[in-house]
Amino acid sequence: MRIPKILFLTILWVCIGAHAQNKQLLYDFTEIPQSMLINPGAQTDFKWYGGIPGISGLSFQAGSSGVSAYDLFAADGVDFTAKVRDRLLGGMTTRDEISGTQQIEFLNIGFRSSDPNVFYSFGIYNESDAIGYWFQDYAILAIDGNVNRLNQRFDLGDLKTRGEMMNVFHFGVNKKLDNKLTVGGRAKIYSSILDFNSTRNKGFFVTRPGQNNLLSSTFNADMKWRTSGINAIKAASNEDNIAGTIIKRGFFGGNLGLGFDLGLTYQLNKQTVFTASLLDLGFIYHSNDVENYTLKGDVTTEGVEVILPGDALNPNQDFWQDLVDNIEEIVPFENNFNNYVTFRPTKLYASLRYNWGEQAIGGADCDCGPNVISGNRTPKFVNGAGGQLYVINRPRGPQTALTAFYQRRFGNVMAVKATYTADKFTYTNIGFGLNLQAGPVNLYVMADNLLAYRNIADSRYASFQLGLNIISWGKK
Amino acid sequence: MKRLLQSVLLVLLISGGAISCTENLDFNQFDDLEATPTYEAGILYLEAPEDIINLISGTNVFSQNFNFDAFSSDIFADRVLDGTITFVVENTTSKELEITVELLDEGDNVTDTEVFSIQPAPTAIIQREIAYGDSGRSIDIIKTLSTIRVTATNLGDNSSVSNLPDPLITLKSSGKFRVRLK
Repeated sequence: MRIPKILFLTILWVCIGAHAQNKQLLYDFTEIPQSMLINPGAQTDFKWYGGIPGISGLSFQAGSSGVSAYDLFAADGVDFTAKVRDRLLGGMTTRDEISGTQQIEFLNIGFRSSDPNVFYSFGIYNESDAIGYWFQDYAILAIDGNVNRLNQRFDLGDLKTRGEMMNVFHFGVNKKLDNKLTVGGRAKIYSSILDFNSTRNKGFFVTRPGQNNLLSSTFNADMKWRTSGINAIKAASNEDNIAGTIIKRGFFGGNLGLGFDLGLTYQLNKQTVFTASLLDLGFIYHSNDVENYTLKGDVTTEGVEVILPGDALNPNQDFWQDLVDNIEEIVPFENNFNNYVTFRPTKLYASLRYNWGEQAIGGADCDCGPNVISGNRTPKFVNGAGGQLYVINRPRGPQTALTAFYQRRFGNVMAVKATYTADKFTYTNIGFGLNLQAGPVNLYVMADNLLAYRNIADSRYASFQLGLNIISWGKK
Repeated sequence: MKRLLQSVLLVLLISGGAISCTENLDFNQFDDLEATPTYEAGILYLEAPEDIINLISGTNVFSQNFNFDAFSSDIFADRVLDGTITFVVENTTSKELEITVELLDEGDNVTDTEVFSIQPAPTAIIQREIAYGDSGRSIDIIKTLSTIRVTATNLGDNSSVSNLPDPLITLKSSGKFRVRLK
C-alpha cells in the first residue's frame, strides 16, 4: 500500500492553503529586489542587483483550509479511521482545498538604464503550483459507499484539481513617469514541464428505487482529465532520466505560453502611497506530450433485465456481457491527444501605505567600499503602515486575503515588516519579514503564521521565503 | 553595526527555536485506515406474463442460465467481505409457481440454492434476504459466482387467467456488499 499512502499524505500535505501564493510579506517590501516580481511597478532605487543563482529567491508555501496534519496524525490514541470520518468526511466541504506552491529563482538580474528613471530586470525561475479541492462525495463513496443513501446524488464535479510545473523566463521594465507615478510591466514566457487539470467535471451517480428491479443506478458523467508532460516524466522515470527530462522540458522542450505582469505605484501625497499589480495574465498552449481522458454519457441500469416474451430465452445470449458492453458504449472512457490551453492563476495585489517618521537616507552601504555613500538611494520614511489586498483566481472562483502591515527601517542595514492576514483559512496569521543589508549583500528571510509555530504540525498554513542578492545603488 | 546584526540573528534563532515545535505525529496511522464501504445495486430482474406460462405445456415454464461475472471479477472477489442478496418474488398470475435460483461457479457447480414457492395472487409476494459472510452462508459462494440459474415451475394449470391487470411472475434482486478498499 506504499503508493496510496504516499498519495494520501501528499494530498494532505499539499491540501494546504488557497492563499498559498500570497506573498504579503514580500509585496511592496521595496528594499528587496524580488518585490519587483510581484509588483513590476514598485519604486526602486537600485543601480543594479543580481540574485545569487539558486538561492536568490526561494519560497515554499503550504496550507490546509480544512484540517492540519496534527488533526489527523497526532499520536493521540484515537482510531485513525474515526478521525478520517469525523474530521475529513464530517469536517470538510468542497470549498476546502489542498494546495501548495514553490518557487526557486535560477537567475534574477536588474539594472538601471542610462535613463535613470528606467529600470530593467530579467531572470528565470521555476514554479510549481497545485491545488485540489476536497472531493467530498468521492470520499463518502470510498469510505461509506452508497448504501442507505437512496436518491442521494454523488456529485462527480467534486473532482476539481490542477497542477503544473514550469520555468518562467521574464523581462521587466520599470519606469518612474514623474514624482508621483511609477509603472512597470513584465513579459513572461512559460516553459511548461508538466501540467494536469480536471476542473470542469459535471455529473452525478445516484441509486434510486428501481422501476422494475429493486434498485436502479444512474451514472451521468461529463468528465475530463487533461495532461501534458506526464507521460514524458513517466518514461524518464523508467529510464532514470527524470532530471534530464525536466531540464529539457523546462528550457523550451515542453509546452510554451505567454504572460504579462502589470504594476504601479502612485504617490497620493508625500506620505501616502497606493500600489497595485496584476500578475500572470497569461496562458500556456499544450501541444507536446499531451494525453487527455474523457468519460461522458448518461446511463441507468437496474442490473440484468430479462422480460419475456421480448427477451426470448436464448441459451447463448450473455445478458451480463451485453449489459457491460451497453454501459461502456453509452459512457465510454476514452483518451485523446488534443491540444489544449490553460490559463495561469491570475493574481491581484493592491496596497495603501502611510509613511511617517524621520526620513532615512543612505549610509555607507554600497558595493564600492567604505568611503562612498549611496548614489541613487532615495530617502525613505522609517515607518510605514497600511493595508493590502490579495485576490487569486482559482477553479472555484476568486479567493481573497486582507493584510494589515507595519514596516520599520533601521538605517540602511535593516528593515522589518510585520503582517496580520485574514482570509477564509485563518484569522490568526501573523507574519514577519527581515531584510538585512550588509554592504552590497542583501539577505531576506520571511515566514508567516508564526503563532502556529508553537505546534507547526497543527498549522493549516505555513510559508517560508529566503533570498540572497548583491545590490548596488551606484556611486555618487 | 556588526554587533547589531549578530544580535538580531541570535534573537531570531533563539526565539525561533524556542517557539517552533511539533507535537508527536504518527504517519504510520495511515496503515490503520479502514475503508470498507458498502455498495448496493440491482442484480437480476426477470418477468414472465401469464399468457406465456399458459402457452408452455408441462410444468417447466423456463430454466435459464445467466452469466454473471460481476462478483467473480478480481477487483470485487479479492475485496468483498460480506453482504446480502435480496430477492423479491411476486406472482399476480392465477397459478401457484415455484422459482428456484441457483448460484453456480465457473465449473457449473451449484454452490447455493434458493427456492421460492409462491401462491397465486393476490397474496403472493415473498421477500427474502440471504446473508453471506461471517453471519451467513460462505462468502466464497459470492466470490466464485459465475452463473445464476433461474428455473420456474408451474405448479398450477395452463388455462386459468388472473383477473388482475397484466398478470405475471417477477423475480427482483439486489445485492448489498461490503468491500475492503483499504
